[in-house]
Amino acid sequence: MDNDRICHGNKNTNNHITYLHKNNINAVTQTLSAGRHKKPPVIWLGTNTCAGDMLSLLNTLDPTYQSFISDMIDLRYDYLGGGSEGNSSMAILEETQRSCKGQYILIVEGSIPLASEGRYSIIGYRQGKPWTALDAVRELSVNARYVVAAGTCAAFGGIYAAAPNLSQSVSLQAVLDRQVINVPGCPINPEWMVGTLAYLVKGEVPALDNYQRPKLFFGNTVHDRCQRRSYFDNSLFAKTHGEPWCMYEIGCKGPSTYADCPDRQWNGEHVNWPVKANTPCIGCTSPEFIDGDVPFFEHSPDVKLPGIKLTANRFGIFTGAATAIGIGSHLAGSVLTGRLAQTIRDDFPRRKKTKALLRAIKAMRLGKHKKGKK
Amino acid sequence: MKAKQRHTRTAIILHWIYAPAVITSILSGFYIHNPSRFNVFHTMDSAKKVHAVSQYALIFSFLARIVYGFKDKNYREIIPNRKTWLSFPGFLKYEFFLSNKKVTYPKYNPGQKLLITNFALVIPIQIITGLALYSKKFEGTAKAAGGLNPVRLSHYVLSLMLVYSVSGHLYFAFTHGFKKLKSIFTGYE
Repeated sequence: MDNDRICHGNKNTNNHITYLHKNNINAVTQTLSAGRHKKPPVIWLGTNTCAGDMLSLLNTLDPTYQSFISDMIDLRYDYLGGGSEGNSSMAILEETQRSCKGQYILIVEGSIPLASEGRYSIIGYRQGKPWTALDAVRELSVNARYVVAAGTCAAFGGIYAAAPNLSQSVSLQAVLDRQVINVPGCPINPEWMVGTLAYLVKGEVPALDNYQRPKLFFGNTVHDRCQRRSYFDNSLFAKTHGEPWCMYEIGCKGPSTYADCPDRQWNGEHVNWPVKANTPCIGCTSPEFIDGDVPFFEHSPDVKLPGIKLTANRFGIFTGAATAIGIGSHLAGSVLTGRLAQTIRDDFPRRKKTKALLRAIKAMRLGKHKKGKK
Repeated sequence: MKAKQRHTRTAIILHWIYAPAVITSILSGFYIHNPSRFNVFHTMDSAKKVHAVSQYALIFSFLARIVYGFKDKNYREIIPNRKTWLSFPGFLKYEFFLSNKKVTYPKYNPGQKLLITNFALVIPIQIITGLALYSKKFEGTAKAAGGLNPVRLSHYVLSLMLVYSVSGHLYFAFTHGFKKLKSIFTGYE
């Protein structure tokens, strides 16, 4: 089975769109049915999350969600779509943890709060005591074969970790000592998760970048593959929202965001994505999302100094004006005190033109120049 | 009277490589940052090319200047030392017109030393942050800074700092002695 084919589709096609090809996913399921690999048990845990990642995954079409959970993985626990609740739900987690040691894949959606001993996120109750997300991920990750962070909150802290971060939310990796494969996105593209799992089902970890993101999906910037790139190169920029040109000047974070959104697109069958829908990329797969790239519709993040918050452009204007005033004042002072004239006199003592220039400067200083004209 | 040598030929050549490289980097950088406001290039593509070429010129000439500075030991004339700090209050008094006592310094005054040292500190950071924005191969830097957007902001803020330092440097070069200004072209005062 060629992993590149799973996630890149048929390389012989004329278009460069890279998406999961149904036939290739079928090949994974065929490999599984042939007994060469076993469907791995999967626990999908929800911590501090809006549930957006699981809802996005439900929209997978290639393969369908039904095919995904029945042919590709053995979904044991799903915090959102699971049929059980209460003690029976907790029992599934414990049973999977006990009977599938070293086999199951733990997928965590959402950030992990540390404040109040983690009680800002409780995933259930065991023996009447709250089981915090912090304890759950630490316990469940011990026997997991792979740990995957689904969405930007789990991968990097995301929205829950944004200032003032009262719950002290952090990423999954921040509370675990083992490798976490990050699949960021707000929400994730279903194919990013399915494609990553296609590797893990086979017992392989996809090539990862410095942020532990699969390079397959996060290897290029949004800007590199953007359909409006030619407008950028030719300096055709939208001044307001709704214009059909490059949105760089109104805050598009595409140049600093690694994701394959322009190629893969969203809405099931690769229908649309933010720029195509006329809205700038907000950089949701970046580790600094959200604090590091707000305001979304400003060209650069704000400059934050103690007690001051300015847009980057205003900061430039103010500091530039201060420098100009400083230099201008010094120049005026040098002229008025005669220092500049002295410098010229010292450096060009015998030149007639210099003397004339000195006389003119002196006249200006004493105001004679004006009187002479009258 | 025999002319006094102020700069060596190597220092002059390197200066006239990295000086235009800094200026073109600043101009193209401002265009890349905000093309509508700093409309000095025809297209973003040309601004990016100019920025890339000037960055390479800056990187190599800057590295060469560092090597030369240590080989010739002329870094001692630039980096502020104890004497520099001790003479700094007097220098400030004179520059703020609070005193008329002009002190003659061996080569650079404390202000020039600080400005040039500022270049030596800011340019490497600009090179590192610029490379992080230029290619994913240098993403490690971005990780240390917390992501590409913070790197982008740092690159911009530091470029402003560089612009103001260059402005100050040019101002003092043009007003604090024409013999000194001549020496950066000829080597001699």
